[in-house]
Amino acid sequence: MDFVILSLVMLTLGIYGLLTNRQLLKVFISVELIATAATLNFVMLISSTGQGLGQAILILAFSTDTAVSAVILALLVIVSKKYGTSNISEILKMQGKVESEAEA
Amino acid sequence: MILEIISIGLIISACLALFLDEMVYSVAALAGTFLFTALLYIVNGSDFAAIFQFVVGVGTLAILFLSGEMLGNKPTKKASSKKTFALIGLGAVLSLPAIFLSVSGSTGTTSDAFFGDALWNLRGVDVVIQSLVVLTVALGIAIILYERRSGEK
Repeated sequence: MDFVILSLVMLTLGIYGLLTNRQLLKVFISVELIATAATLNFVMLISSTGQGLGQAILILAFSTDTAVSAVILALLVIVSKKYGTSNISEILKMQGKVESEAEA
Repeated sequence: MILEIISIGLIISACLALFLDEMVYSVAALAGTFLFTALLYIVNGSDFAAIFQFVVGVGTLAILFLSGEMLGNKPTKKASSKKTFALIGLGAVLSLPAIFLSVSGSTGTTSDAFFGDALWNLRGVDVVIQSLVVLTVALGIAIILYERRSGEK
């Protein structure tokens, strides 16, 4: 049970930020916090058992996290360049306008 | 005692990263989160995990600082110190259950001797993962260049 609650608090903070923040970069930071919480839980669990294999497999988690971050950041840059803002509400409004114009 | 201090710092920096208005300060708080996580790994005996966390954190933060400067909106009003202190207090309160229910008395076992063997046994996976990372970064750069080129036309 060691550190499970600590990573649970981190996970809760990340999910709360993911649901409430309207800025794209803040959403990305929330995703990073969720990934950090998951990794923290994994490392602490493995280090308590004393197996090096867990730390080696941890590279997989870090690499996947980095790859996901690269793709998300590229998409964020494209979206904010296209719509001129990084606010999700404004982007959704603009998308609605574009779709209604296309239908008309 | 040191584990409790690191846990409080971890939760407080996570709160600051989420709720601060200015993007650059938020990214700086995220740097603190990564740093405290690496310290937690070191104290728990997972040195290699701490090194990887530090390296990945530095790479992510460098890109995030650039993106924060590019995409972040300038705040209309200056952030008040009252809000910052309130966020620090919130983080301290949130870290209390983690300290009293979870962290105390944990002693990790050092496993550095097995790390090299384990990594050597997983060398195929290691190569595949590295190529995956390079491929994904190249894909991201290609997407940005394609969009920029189509925007110029």
